[in-house]
Amino acid sequence: MLSIKNLHASVEEKNIIKGLNLEVKPGEVHAIMGPNGAGKSTLGYVLSGRDGYEVSEGEATLNGKNLLELDVEERAREGLFLAFQYPVEIPGVSNMEFMKESVNAMREQHGKEPLTAAEFLKKAKEACKQVQLPLDFLKRGVNEGFSGGEKKRNEIMQMILLEPSLCILDESDSGLDVDALQVVADGVNSQRDGERSFIVVTHYQRLLDYIKPDFVHILADGKIVKSGDASLALDVEKSGYAFLGKEYAEGEA
Amino acid sequence: MSQWLEQVIGAAQVDDYLAPVRQQALAQLKADGWPARRNESWRFTPLTPIEKREAKTVTQADSLPVPVIDNLNAIDLLFVDGVLVTQLNTLDVPAGMTITSLNNGDNAIQADISRVFGQVKPTRHLFGLVNDTLVQHGIYIGVEAGVSIDVPVRIINLSNNDVDAHTRVVVNVADGARATIIEHGVGDKNSLTTAFAEYHIADDAHLEHYRFAMFTGAAKQIGGSHFKLHNRSTLNSTLVGYGSELSRLDVDIHHAGEFADAKMNAIYLLAEGELFDLHSTIEHAMPNGTTEENARGIVGDKARAVFNGRIHIHRDAQKTLAELNNRNLLLSRRGVINTKPELEIYADDVKCAHGATVAEIDEASLYYLLTRGISRSKALVMLNFGFIRELINDVRNEPIRDWLLPVLSERFSQMEVK
Repeated sequence: MLSIKNLHASVEEKNIIKGLNLEVKPGEVHAIMGPNGAGKSTLGYVLSGRDGYEVSEGEATLNGKNLLELDVEERAREGLFLAFQYPVEIPGVSNMEFMKESVNAMREQHGKEPLTAAEFLKKAKEACKQVQLPLDFLKRGVNEGFSGGEKKRNEIMQMILLEPSLCILDESDSGLDVDALQVVADGVNSQRDGERSFIVVTHYQRLLDYIKPDFVHILADGKIVKSGDASLALDVEKSGYAFLGKEYAEGEA
Repeated sequence: MSQWLEQVIGAAQVDDYLAPVRQQALAQLKADGWPARRNESWRFTPLTPIEKREAKTVTQADSLPVPVIDNLNAIDLLFVDGVLVTQLNTLDVPAGMTITSLNNGDNAIQADISRVFGQVKPTRHLFGLVNDTLVQHGIYIGVEAGVSIDVPVRIINLSNNDVDAHTRVVVNVADGARATIIEHGVGDKNSLTTAFAEYHIADDAHLEHYRFAMFTGAAKQIGGSHFKLHNRSTLNSTLVGYGSELSRLDVDIHHAGEFADAKMNAIYLLAEGELFDLHSTIEHAMPNGTTEENARGIVGDKARAVFNGRIHIHRDAQKTLAELNNRNLLLSRRGVINTKPELEIYADDVKCAHGATVAEIDEASLYYLLTRGISRSKALVMLNFGFIRELINDVRNEPIRDWLLPVLSERFSQMEVK
């Protein structure tokens, strides 16, 4: 599935990822926690291929394909999905039109016929219900005027429709109340099928009560400094990142 | 003096019933001469492609297929290379509507035409004066008082040869009448088309107006749509412009009565090294008028867009409400946009707003679409559409809206910066 070896990456000539290693096998859920500024969001941007995020060393493969050689849209078509912490608003582009293009781009990749408008509408309505968004959200501009929670649910709806092989959820819990958190978690859990893998980036153990991780990693200063099972997240919740040393403990406070 | 203008002046024929206007125009052309390079109204639009051109017109042309707009079911009137090729007497014209050539010999119709010809279009437009002087092929459309015409009338200017074409449309929508009129221009030959239209919109009348200025390539299009609004009349106008070697449109909306309401949306989409220049002038001469103008442009590659939007509120035009907004999207570092809103207000109790912006494609939006597997070119088309979506949604005529979507998609793919 996903294999990251000794990854180094920088933004505006500032090194953020400094030798990161991670192996994710099919069906696994990995949680990544860590103090602010550790490089959690950067990892998602680097893997997705965002402009301005330069990889200087190391490798990242998804299902055997070298991600780093691919354009952003090619990585997505290979099955990489990034749920954003702050999804962008795109007025004038309807959510429906956007998702239809997106779903059909994936279908084309897999040699399938594009969905007709009616076929897509049926699927979209189901996904919309599943994340408990009113159907008129399909007609609105992409994320336009959505609340924070609605944006997160819209991300999960896209994930459900696109059926990726690896999902990276970047703080999909931030800014959510308990009910919205439950909806997001249910959406994710409904997509766990033993094949699809997840990387859940979060600050708080809370989300992991709903989405049970197989592994928990602590990311600090651009690399994974500690890995364990779900209990590691509970330790962090209890004692913070003090074990990383004074600097990090204060950074998080 | 330019060779072209000298030939135009030499070719002038001013001996028909329109002679008073034609003579005045000819005199002004002689007096004004060719605009100096720094002339404000041509500052960003050099006239070099016309200056040394041969002023050559044709008197005969064959009919050609016109761009099809599905389900529009319009009455199509076709000019090819400036020659009216539609047989007007074969048209099925609804009751209460008159469609005739400007050369109609009927005295009453000549009187109707004379009341509008050269009376709505301001005399400051050089090429408007040329058109006044030279135009032989023109159409008069009259709608009788109180008559509501549902069938749209479409006037098509098609350039098929490297010649000059001068066409004119004169429209009189009488008291309380309603009509839909579309001006549609296409062609990519080394032609010069001056297509001017004048609309007299009487008390309580309504005009639904479209202008598709879609000349491209080597074509030179210089034209105008000019409106005079009387008491409580309303105008809803949509303009779609492409660029070419030289494209210039002037729109004048003159509030000559009280409580008139004008809405104008303009979209211009430029590719390669094209030029498109839109000059709009709103004159509020009477109180209680409203105007809302939204112009949005997308400029690709090394194209240049010029927008000059003027609102002039006269001293008596109290309680005027006028808004003008121009937004531009620049797709490439080599593209140029010159935008200039102008406000001139002499009344003290008015609400007036204007603004102009130039932006680039939002990197975060593009990235977001790409992360969902959408190709770069398709993502750019979607973002371009997003930019003009509101104006497309405003198009009231459904067949036109349905037609515009794929047409503009095609245009966007030409505008892609490779």
